[in-house]
Amino acid sequence: MNILKQLKAQYKKILLDYILNQNESNLYIGQNLIKQLIQKNVTPEDVIGIHKQAIEEIYEDLPESISHAYDFLIELMVHFGLKVKEHQFLLLKQEEMRIEMDIAAKIQNLLLETTIPTPELLDIGMVSIPKRKMNGDYVHFLHDDENYLGVAVTDVVGKGVPAALCMSMVKYGLDTLGYANSNPSYVLEVLNKIIEKSVDDSMFVSLFYGRYNLNNDIFTWASAGHEPALYYRAKENIFYDLESKGLLLGILPEFKYIQHDVKLEKDDFLVLMTDGVTDFRKLEEFDSRGYIKQLAVSYSRLSAQQMCEEIYKDLERLQDFNLDDDFTIVIIKK
Amino acid sequence: MNVNVQFREEGDLLLGFIEGEIDTFTAPTLRDELNSICISEGLFIELDLLNVSFMDSTGLGVFVAFYKKVMRENANLKLVNLSGRLTRLFEITGLSELMDIETIKKGD
Amino acid sequence: MLDETTVQIVTELDIVAARQLGRNEAKAIGFNKVDQARIATAISELAKNIFLYASVGKIIIKRITKNGNSEKGIAIIAIDKGPGIKDVGKVLDYSPAANNGAGLHAVKRLVDLIEIQSEIGMGTIVRIEKWLR
Repeated sequence: MNILKQLKAQYKKILLDYILNQNESNLYIGQNLIKQLIQKNVTPEDVIGIHKQAIEEIYEDLPESISHAYDFLIELMVHFGLKVKEHQFLLLKQEEMRIEMDIAAKIQNLLLETTIPTPELLDIGMVSIPKRKMNGDYVHFLHDDENYLGVAVTDVVGKGVPAALCMSMVKYGLDTLGYANSNPSYVLEVLNKIIEKSVDDSMFVSLFYGRYNLNNDIFTWASAGHEPALYYRAKENIFYDLESKGLLLGILPEFKYIQHDVKLEKDDFLVLMTDGVTDFRKLEEFDSRGYIKQLAVSYSRLSAQQMCEEIYKDLERLQDFNLDDDFTIVIIKK
Repeated sequence: MNVNVQFREEGDLLLGFIEGEIDTFTAPTLRDELNSICISEGLFIELDLLNVSFMDSTGLGVFVAFYKKVMRENANLKLVNLSGRLTRLFEITGLSELMDIETIKKGD
Repeated sequence: MLDETTVQIVTELDIVAARQLGRNEAKAIGFNKVDQARIATAISELAKNIFLYASVGKIIIKRITKNGNSEKGIAIIAIDKGPGIKDVGKVLDYSPAANNGAGLHAVKRLVDLIEIQSEIGMGTIVRIEKWLR
């Protein structure tokens, strides 16, 4: 007698015992049998088959309809098992992807780490908080000598891995350009060509580029489809939007960007940000830029870094601590 | 959250009515819908965004990609009935200078 | 009974026809109820893959023997001219239903052998075997 037949006979005996006497010890013996069945690669649907056979042997006059009902159960269990298996594989795959994402996010964070420069005459602060693991925003500073400071605030359209890859390209473009005294319009035109050539039609980058001349306090800026920066003139207690109709990077290869100048005086400051700061999905009619201006003025006596942090805290609270997008704000104070 | 598009043909004009929210999750659906359009030379495509309650930059990407495709086929694309918020999005990104867009008319 | 029968898969109803044919054949060979269910379910998955991903194809059901007719079994061959599967090894080892290999790895546990030949753009041939014990 082979082992499977032995197990079937055992099953029948235990089942019969339980039918005659529904006590705990019979259940316990039955459960122990399962362990042996698993060792012999017997599947749940096999167990139903064994059960059906046992019932048919125990009740010789079993109505045919009951046998059919068991067959139905067997069929469904085979399919059920198949789907469970598929589901387990999906979960496994998902877990693997999650681990890869974590590693990729760590590498990205390392690559795109921003160090805030500390020129003698300016106070610079920054907060950049990703919505998900990978940040679609990026801030790049260039400060090679005491004459110029370059700053780029960028936002890649799209999220997750594709956006992160695109962002690395922007970073290396900026690194390659390399000089803090480059003209903002030139920087945008070069990056535009790189991005237009390399990514698909639905991918693009918005970028605000500014160059601060530390000798005469002239800030020169150009924008490629980016959220306008704010310029606060302390003497007048007025904010100016640094608007520009420059097109997003990566759409038209030959686009010409226009740059503008503004001269900063004592206590003036600039607020550079991404649309994650101004765009509130849940508060449709809300004048977010107006609110940010109010906040910035009320915190203007703090350091640039503290200002960024306080504004972030306020906006986070306003949206019930659940921001819709990556959030990046840079403040440069004279 | 969902997005759907209803098309209607009127001679050389193809009207598409977009409804819903366009974000990272629904953008692929919108992209597929727009890619199903058979673009012939000289075709006028008008997409109505009156019932788009939300759109983020991913949605913008879908429209830019579609715009480029339409231009390659020598056809025409116009986006109409954009809310103030959507108009601002197209203006900030410089796309309003490139694409033909029309803001919703007050009192309509 | 013929040694080989073919069902063309064009509509969803053909999936049921293929299952029925496979079950009858399995029964005639002598498979028990549980194995009949496994064979029908495996055929169902293969036919559904054709229907969903290739739109047209066929299922061939065959009686097979080995060791000089002493062992009997059934073979099911699914042939389509669909998009093909990119990485056959991956489909079986691990890649789930999300890919166009849709659930083939799960079929593996229902049968004794599964072989896939596929070429991108040309189509896919899946052969499964189950032996009577």
